[in-house]
Formats: sequence, C-alpha cells, structure tokens
Amino acid sequence: MKLINCPLNGPRNAQEFVCAGEVKLMPDPNACSDTEWTDYVFMENNTAGVVREWWCHVPTAFWFIAERDTVTDTFIRTYPASEVFGARVDFAAPAAKGGGA
Amino acid sequence: MTLQPLDRTRRSFIWRELVAAGARFAEVNGTATAMDFGNPAAEAETARRMGLVDLSPLPRTGYKGRGALDWLRSQGVQVPEENNRALVQPDGSVACRLAPSELLLLGPLDGAPGLVDELDAAWPGPDAGTGAYRVPRPDTNLWFALTGSDADAMFSKICGVDLRTSHFPNLGIAQTQVARLSGIVVRADLGATPVFHLLADCASAGYMLAVLKDAMDEFGGGLVGLAALRELARS
Amino acid sequence: MTAMPRLAAPNGLLIDRNRPVSFTFEGREIQGFHGDTIASALLGADVKVLSRSFKYHRPRGPLTMAGQDANTLVQLPGEPNVLADRTPIRDGLVVKGQNYRGSLEDDRLMILDRFSRFMPVGFYYKTFFKPGLFGGGSWKFWEPKIRAMAGLGVVDLNHPHGYYDKQYLFHDVVVVGGGAAGMSAALKAAEAGADTLLVDENPVLGGALSYARFGPESDGGRSRMQALAARVAAEPRITVMTDASCQGWFADNWLPVIRGKRLYKIRAKAVVVATGSMEQPMVFRHNDLPGVMLGSAAQRLIRHYGVRPGSRAVVAAANSDAYGVALDLMEAGIDVAAIVDLRPEPGDDEVTKAALATGVTVIPGFTPWQTRPGFGMRSIVGVEIARITGEGRAEGEGHSIACDLLCMSTGYSPTAHLLYHSGARLEYDEATAMMAIRRLPDHVFACGSVNGVFDIAAVIQDGERAGWAAACDIGLDAGPEPAAPNRTGAEGQTHPWPIFSHPKGKDFVDFDEDLQVKDILNAMADGYDHVELVKRYSTVGMGPSQGRHSAITTMRLVAKAQGVSPALVGTTTSRPPYQPETFGHLAGRGFEPVRLTPMHHRHLEAGAQMMPAGLWLRPAYYGRKEDREKAIAAEALAVRQNVGIIDVSTLGGLEVRGPDAAEFLNRMYTFAYLKQPVGRARYVLMTDMSGVVTDDGVACRFSDQHFYVTATTSGAQAVYQHMLLMNAQWRLDVDVTNVTASYCGVNIAGPKSREVLARICSDVDLSAEAFPYMAVRTGTVAGIPARLLRVGFVGELGYEIHAPASCGEALWDALMEAGRDFGIRPFGVEAQRLLRLEKGHIIIGQDTDGLTNPVEAAMDWAISRNKPFFVGGRSIAMQEARGITRMLVGFELVDPKAPVPEECHLVVRDGIITGRVTSAVRSPTLGKVVGLAYVARDQSEIGSRFNIKIAGGRMIEAKVVPVPFYDPENKRQEL
Repeated sequence: MKLINCPLNGPRNAQEFVCAGEVKLMPDPNACSDTEWTDYVFMENNTAGVVREWWCHVPTAFWFIAERDTVTDTFIRTYPASEVFGARVDFAAPAAKGGGA
Repeated sequence: MTLQPLDRTRRSFIWRELVAAGARFAEVNGTATAMDFGNPAAEAETARRMGLVDLSPLPRTGYKGRGALDWLRSQGVQVPEENNRALVQPDGSVACRLAPSELLLLGPLDGAPGLVDELDAAWPGPDAGTGAYRVPRPDTNLWFALTGSDADAMFSKICGVDLRTSHFPNLGIAQTQVARLSGIVVRADLGATPVFHLLADCASAGYMLAVLKDAMDEFGGGLVGLAALRELARS
Repeated sequence: MTAMPRLAAPNGLLIDRNRPVSFTFEGREIQGFHGDTIASALLGADVKVLSRSFKYHRPRGPLTMAGQDANTLVQLPGEPNVLADRTPIRDGLVVKGQNYRGSLEDDRLMILDRFSRFMPVGFYYKTFFKPGLFGGGSWKFWEPKIRAMAGLGVVDLNHPHGYYDKQYLFHDVVVVGGGAAGMSAALKAAEAGADTLLVDENPVLGGALSYARFGPESDGGRSRMQALAARVAAEPRITVMTDASCQGWFADNWLPVIRGKRLYKIRAKAVVVATGSMEQPMVFRHNDLPGVMLGSAAQRLIRHYGVRPGSRAVVAAANSDAYGVALDLMEAGIDVAAIVDLRPEPGDDEVTKAALATGVTVIPGFTPWQTRPGFGMRSIVGVEIARITGEGRAEGEGHSIACDLLCMSTGYSPTAHLLYHSGARLEYDEATAMMAIRRLPDHVFACGSVNGVFDIAAVIQDGERAGWAAACDIGLDAGPEPAAPNRTGAEGQTHPWPIFSHPKGKDFVDFDEDLQVKDILNAMADGYDHVELVKRYSTVGMGPSQGRHSAITTMRLVAKAQGVSPALVGTTTSRPPYQPETFGHLAGRGFEPVRLTPMHHRHLEAGAQMMPAGLWLRPAYYGRKEDREKAIAAEALAVRQNVGIIDVSTLGGLEVRGPDAAEFLNRMYTFAYLKQPVGRARYVLMTDMSGVVTDDGVACRFSDQHFYVTATTSGAQAVYQHMLLMNAQWRLDVDVTNVTASYCGVNIAGPKSREVLARICSDVDLSAEAFPYMAVRTGTVAGIPARLLRVGFVGELGYEIHAPASCGEALWDALMEAGRDFGIRPFGVEAQRLLRLEKGHIIIGQDTDGLTNPVEAAMDWAISRNKPFFVGGRSIAMQEARGITRMLVGFELVDPKAPVPEECHLVVRDGIITGRVTSAVRSPTLGKVVGLAYVARDQSEIGSRFNIKIAGGRMIEAKVVPVPFYDPENKRQEL
C-alpha cells in the first residue's frame, strides 16, 4: 500500500485518504461561456505526467494538494491548499440580474 | 457504591457492557463511572500489562476555528508548539493540538472541575469575534484508555500507525483509523506505564469495545476500573 | 506401515527423534517425528505417491520438498490443496490424497492418461466453441463432469470459521530469505544500527546451507550456517521470523507476510531480497513420476528429515552441485548407479573431484531420455539414457540403468517473485543461461543467488554489500563499502537446454497442468505466439505453482520455435501472492463498524425490527415480522391521530459558525440564507457542480454567526467533506464542525405532541404564537439541554429535539413517560416513509437519481435566483435554458383497487419509456394509492393521465394530482 505524506499528519497509508480529482480553477460562472463551464465541470485532462490533485486525510477531514506523476504513480510533493488558494474568493453579482439575496 | 448508570441523565456509551462485566460505579462528573470490577488490586496489575478503562464520563472539551489557539492561550492554556503533540497542564489535564486551528483538552483523571469547565464557562459563544468555536467533545467521542506494556502491540493489530513505545513518543498524537474507524490516539503515560487514550465515534462505542476486547485477549488484557488507572498515576 | 529407520544425526536437522507423531494418510496410520512435514513422514514410511495429476491423473510424488510444486497437494479436513512438503504433521491429523476416483493407489480416472492425445492443448476452447455434441449448449452438460474429473481438493462448506487476524509491523530493513546472503545482509544492516527483520519460510534459518553441501566435506554448509545463525541470534537489532512466507511486494515497501493464522502487514524503509534460486527440473519422457526429483529435494530429505529418498539413484548433472548430491546420497547409504552429465566433461572443482575420487560411474555427454515406470506408474524402476547430439537432441536410446531415484541437478532460476512485484527488470542472460537483474527500484536490494551470485564466499560478501547498501539507503552510517566479490560462480550452474522432447510425449513442461512439450509448440502453431498468449491458451504456469518450474522451459521453447534469443521472449508476469493464501488470511478479523443511536436498546426492548441505514441501525417498525403491515399502519395512525415518536439521531448535524456562516450556506445550498432570521429554520437543498441534487435538510439559525445544519443519514459525511473542500478554495471566515454523533435527535409528531412536550419542557414557550412552524429554540427537556426544531417530515404538529448523545437514552425515557397518558407510540422508518409520501416530501436518493436537477424534482421553489453564486447554479441555469425534459409529479391510481406500483416501474407512452415511479404506497389515511413518478414534461400538468407498466407487463392508469396528497394546505403541521 502506498504511503502518502499528509502535510498535517505525516506519512500515512493510502487507505486513510480519498482523492477528489485534479485541482481545477473555476471559471467565473457569471461570465464564462457554456463550453468553458461544461469543460470545467465534466472534463478531466487525464494527464500522463505530473498532475495537481485534491486529497483528503479522512480521519482529520484535512484537504491538501498533491503533485503526483500519473505515469509512475509517485507523489512528488504535498502541501496545504493555502499555497494555491491563498485569498478569499468572492463572486460578483450576475450582471443581468443584480442584487444580493 | 450502589450508584447505577440509570440513576443519572448522562450515561457512558457502554454502560450496559460495564454492568455486565460487574462494574462498581461511583459518581464522577455527574455520571456513574466504573471504578472497579470487584478486585482493584488485580486490576492495577492488569492495567500495567494490558487494561482498558472507560473514561467516557470524564470531562473534556475542544475548540477549533481560525482564532481557537489564540483564544485558548488568552485563557491560560499552554498550547503545544507543534501539531499532533500534547502538553500536560498544571491541573493535570492534557492539551492536544490537533491542527493549527484545533485543540482537544482531556480532563484529569480525578474528574474534578478544572480547566475544562473554566474554558467552557468562559467561552463567549460563536458571535464574539474570537474565531474560537466549541466542539462538544464529551458527546462526540468515546474515550477509552488502553494501558500497559502490551498496549502498543495490541494497537498494532488494529491500527496502521507505528505506535510502538520505542518509536511513538510520550505526548505524541496520531489521528488515524483504528479498526476502520477514525480516531485520535494520544499517548500520555502514567508513571512508568504506557497509556494510550483513544477517542473515536461515540455511536460506535459498542463495536470498538468488542474489537478491543478481542485484540487484548492475546495479552490477557481486559476491562479495569478508573481506580486502577489512578493507581498507575500514583506509582 | 512401519517406518524405515531414519539417517543418523546430524542428518534430520528439523526432526525431534524423541517425539514420535502418528497420523493417517488415506486411512493408513503413518509414524513420523515432530518436525516432519506430511511429505517427509510419508517418504520416510516409503509412501511415494502423494497425489494424482490434474488432467491425466498420473501418480505424483514430491519434486522440490520446498513447497513449490503442486505434486504434493493433499486434503486435510476442511482444508483442501495443502502443501504436504510444508505442512507439519501432528498427532491424529487426517490426510487424504486429492483428485482421484477410487483410491489414490488405483485411480480409475488414470485411463485419461491413455486418451491424452484426444485432449490437445486448447481442448476446451476448441471442443466447446462449436455447435454439436460437444459444442455450444453442451458445455452445461459436460462442465460438472469435467470439473469432477479435473480438479483439486474439496471445499467443506460447513467447516467453521477459523480465527485469523492481522498485525502491522514496522522495520528499517526487512530481509526476505534467511540463507547465507540474507543472514549476512541482516547482520550488516543491523550492525549499522538498522532495526532489521529477517523473514524466512523455513522452520530454521540457513537456506541452502541447511541442506546443500558447499564443499568436498560433508559439513561445508552446516558449519557456515551455524556460524552465521549464532551471530544473528546474538544481534539484538535483528528480529527473526521463520515459518513465514512473504507473499508479495507492494508500493512503498509494503510486505504481506503470512505466519500461522496471522497476516503481517510490514512496512520497511528498505527491503533486501535474498530469496535464492529454485532448482529447475529437466524435461524428458516420464519426468514426472514418483522417484524423479530435484537434487536439492533429495538433499532436503536427507539433511532436514533424515529420510533416504531412494535406494539406488541416478544423478542427472550439469553443474558441481550434482556431484555434491551424489556424495550426499552415497554418504546416506544410497547406491549411486551413475552420474549422467549433460556436459561433455565434468568440472574440475573440489566437489566434483571428491565425487570422482569415490569411483562413481560418470557418463558425460548423456542425458536421461526417459524413465521406466514401475507398476501403475507409481514409481520408476530405471532410466534410459541417450547420447546428446545437439540442443535438445539425443540418440542411441536403449541404454538403461536400473534405479528407483533420479535426481535432477542441471540448473537454477532466481526466486525473483518479489523483485518482479517491485518493478525490477530481469533479462535472460546468455552467459549464465539464467534470468539476471538489470534494474532495481529505489529502496529495494538483492543479494545471493537471486542476484546471480552462487559461490558461497561471494554470496556472503554480496549479502554484506546489500545490507550495507540498505543501511546507507535509510541514512545510516554503515562505514566504507564492502569489497565486491571477484567471481560470482554463476557461469556453469545452469544448462541452457535441459529439454529432451520425446516422440511419444509425456515429456512434461508443467506438472500442475499436465502440459507436454507438444502442447506448448501446438499453442504457437495455433497462432498464440507471444509468451503471455501461450500461457493463457495452454494454461502453462497457471497452476498452483505459478510457473516456478515451467516458465523458463516455456521461454526456451517459444524462443527456439521463433528462432530468437530467450532474452527477447522473456517470462510471463509474476504477481502476488507468492504462495497460495486463504480467504481467512485476507479477511482477518473482518472489521465491520456498526453505529448505534443512544436509544438503540430502548428500540430493541420495544420489539423493533432494525434495518441498516449506512453504518447505522434504525428501527424499521416495532412488532413481529409477521405483523409488519399492521404495525406500520398502526404507527402511522398514531402520528396522524395522536402522538408518535421517532429516533432521528442518525441525521447528519453540522455546526456552521463564523462571520461568513450565512454567506457560506448561500454558496453551498440553493436557497437564500443571508436574511434568514435568528430563531428560524430554512430548508437546505444541495446540488453538485453539475446541478444534480445531492442532499437536503434544514439550516437552523441560532445566532447571527451560528447555523446548525442537518443532512441526510447517508449523506452527512460526504456533505461535511464537500463543504471543507469548497472552503479550502474560497477561504471564507467560517468553521464547519461535524456533530452528527454528538447530538441525538427525536421527533415527536402528532396532534398531541405539544401537550406531551409541555409536561417536561418548562423553559420554552411552546404556544403556536411564540414558537411557530419552522422556528427553532434552545431550552431544556427533562433537564437535558436541547435544541428544539419545529420542523417535520410527516405533516403533523411536531418537534424535533436534538440533545447531547450521552443523554439520549434519558431523553427518550422522559418523553415516553411524559407521553404515556397520551398513548405515545414509537414509530419506525417505514411508517415515516408512508407519512412523508402522503405529504409529497421527496427522499434524496429515492425520488432523485444521479442526474436529477432541482427543477425537474419540482424544487425550483428552493432555488434563489438572485444571488451571485451557488454550487451548481450555473449548470442548473444551462439545463433550464436547454429545456427540462422530465418532471417529478404526484400521482394517484385511477383504479383505487389496482396493485401498488413499485420503485422503478416504468411510465410508458406508445411503447416509449417516458419516466418511472420513484415511490408509491397505498395510503390508509387517504384510502387510495398515491406516489411520485418522473414523467415527460407534457405529461406533468395536473389532471394528465399516464400509464405505468407494472410487474408482469400489465399497464395501469395514473393521473397527475397536486401534492401534498394529505392536508394540501399544510394546516396540521402549522397548528
């Protein structure tokens, strides 16, 4: 069984983790085209090579990002999500509709 | 010692199993707590090798959130410097740092009001802007202590983390899976005796107890009362 | 049967002559000694036939004495396919042979041996593929008969479960294989400070040192073994695990090791593979009969068990070890009739010289051509030899030597299973005629003969080198690199072509599967020319010994047929497990967590029938199974007319707290929460990014920055994880805590619920004005701190009470006591499902599926259209723009006496499926059948009629009606 280095808990057996797929940056849902949005929701690049993935250490519900080589199934680096997602994300009101809830 | 679990509103998650095993109860923290199973001296011996103590009735609390550790420090809690490390507080409670934003506080074995109650009384609620939020630990987790020289070997049958006392430090913490359930394991030795505190889903307490009893069998281990644990602390 | 006298010590290393053991084989009592395996005790008692072969039912005896061939599979009570040469005997053990009709000695199915030419390779594929007597559907007729004839042991379905368990172990360095190389490696690593585990499948450390000769003197192996083993025993950093089989190598040096009934899962920082090599059989006619065995097997019998493997022997030789075998046989009092050396000349090493000095007959340039079977093929009575005239060719047959034992010592193949598992690359090496390591992965090392080092001094040096390298690899200072051995001794160990196909066949390549040379060649002639295809078509290497003795021969045959080097052909892929393992080992203790609510025992005491809900158990209904329908109806009636109580502790509970709590819910759920008043609850509906409904519940606002959100029983954990994943990206100032188990919950529902609650709740004003529908309060119930929610699933006045789990049982007791005068009745999940359907409430996962969006689930009222964002919002908008194609509607059956449709019964229009039923019930309150169904958009208007195809194909008519079916104005729940 593979070992995965959790940034919070250190190396643990892979069975303590779940993977939520590639880290994808969400396009602006109020500005992007239908194609851009469906690509974001449904398309996985399935890259042969190094990918960034979401992993969760289940006992602590700790989400982090792993860089993994999908060809060799090697974890190259793991780090907290804040390295990529450092700032608060806010959404502009849809242009056509306006107003808050 | 005629107190029975049903005499109190709060009850241990495994009170039926304790009664069936012949427990004698006394009130600790407003709850009937198994003090011994009829032979305190023998239980202390068992506890030195392989014992299981139900500490579920004892006080404990938790805080998490962006400002949790800062608020706890402001309340006089000595917060461990590193994640997954514990620190014994002056009143005997054990502060366990689970994350940069979370701490679990295990009350002392005497069950007396102390830091746990002080914190819970002082917590200003979720709207006070402290960024510290209380976690209802007494009702979230079962709390068992697994004691004795064979406890680490017993754990090696149900837990994939290396808990050998030669490798897993005293006051170390492992947040991991135990018998396929998420759990927190805190090593906090009493005297010369290794003690592992296990906190896990309280709704699975019956399952966890059955698994632990099965795993302890090989070492002649079994249920012991809180009195045995206090005896270890004295020796 | 009386045992023959055993050889004197130091032969019989593993047996204790003071502890006789008695067991039965095929009903006959056999005497052996403690430490004997079943096979050694049987051979010690002159029992030579241990089993019958898989296909032709030929008699078979031990080939390797190392647990690596299928010839010794026997049946124990409750356990088939036991390796007789690995399994120790014990008093009273009942052992039987396998795969025979009649008796092991006289197997009536041995007639199959004579019809073997009618069972060519690919027999089943060819025969049962075509129509006709043996084709197509006839497989159904023939299969049970064939399986009964060709098979292994018998599984006893009534055998009780054994106690198997597992254990995790951790070591710096794990050395697999406790021979000279492994012991040397372990010593070097441990001396450098590594916590080292040494694993060996044999009862004692020593490997080949424990049975082979290693020099002209008799004790060349033993003396080295004793010296190394003494050092190992004295080294505190080495843990020794014998009788333990390392079953594979998995990622990051994860090694499953089986010993007894325990499966160890061992994590190592570095692994040293010192698994040695396996002696390989020759191929010639009748090479499979009892009495034909590997030279090392004969040596194991002599030195491990003190058993004479025969009385008159011929040794087939192609290396110096063969001469060591001959010396051992002679010293054991066995007459060595001849050494038949496949090479033109014997070697000039010390062991060969010592053997030649005895005057033994050596016949160089010859090969065994065929053995002469004894009566019933249960033994051999001689061997015919022939002069080798080329690769695989020989002539001049007819020269016969009488013997009852033929030892084969013509070469080796590395025991590289773990290396293959680890991703190491091995390649056929022409110079040594063996597979050789070309590349090893990180943190994996190899030494000894698996690494192509055979000279015993070099083996020890190679072990030290590997132990040193492993210690360095994990960061220890292990001193200077040990000197490399200057010669490996690998050349001249293995004959490149010990294969002599016979025109009459029975020249077995694979003993497990009874495959002959022509079967391999015919497989290629049939077009299966790749070695992996040859394996699958012919089944070579697919038997219990997994090609240990057939892979190399197959590779050579394929290469030769194709006119290429074996290096280009390679061997088939080796995968775990190394040895057969039982399901018991894999299952271990079978941890299956069960979650119980605090009131669980109260439900049992009230006669509840429990049903699983995720890991939880919930009451389905209260009463005997035969009264199921009556119980459900009575429980529902109690809620509608009086008061009922249901345990809802399994509902998910999440605390969402912080300045951004409302904003966070606004993003996670479809509804609007920014302006939700404190003290109120609001429905929550969760969709995923694609707009599919995934969960629902209520959000209770207890303060500006504090929401308590419920989730479905099965969805709670996923909702919690999903929330954290989203906020790992948004970084809102909010904290989410999963309190599912922390709060138990009960719902008391029914017209009298307020009166019941009022009896034990004095600090909350329960009046309709002060505490209206969809309001939430905190207070105490029977002195227990509680959160009170005026929400309900069943459409009656009701309160959901959430309280600390440790007080749950007391809360239940207090409510039952308070309700006693009102006839309070607990109700289960089944009654709740009936009641909610009468109200038209959907259940996520039952009335929605993996594609349902909120609009088609008729939940567009729960979508806030004027907020900047919620998960799934964009996708829902896109789907609406494209057009919704189906709608979830309430229906009732036109004929009230028609049968109740079941879930997934189809809505059909003009032969086209337009939807399906998701829930339906005959409502006792309404007196008709009502339900929910997906229908086409143009069938969804109130009053539309549609047809449902029920079981048996009958069509029944339904019409769309408004929901709720019961109390459409919702007056009762808002009392």
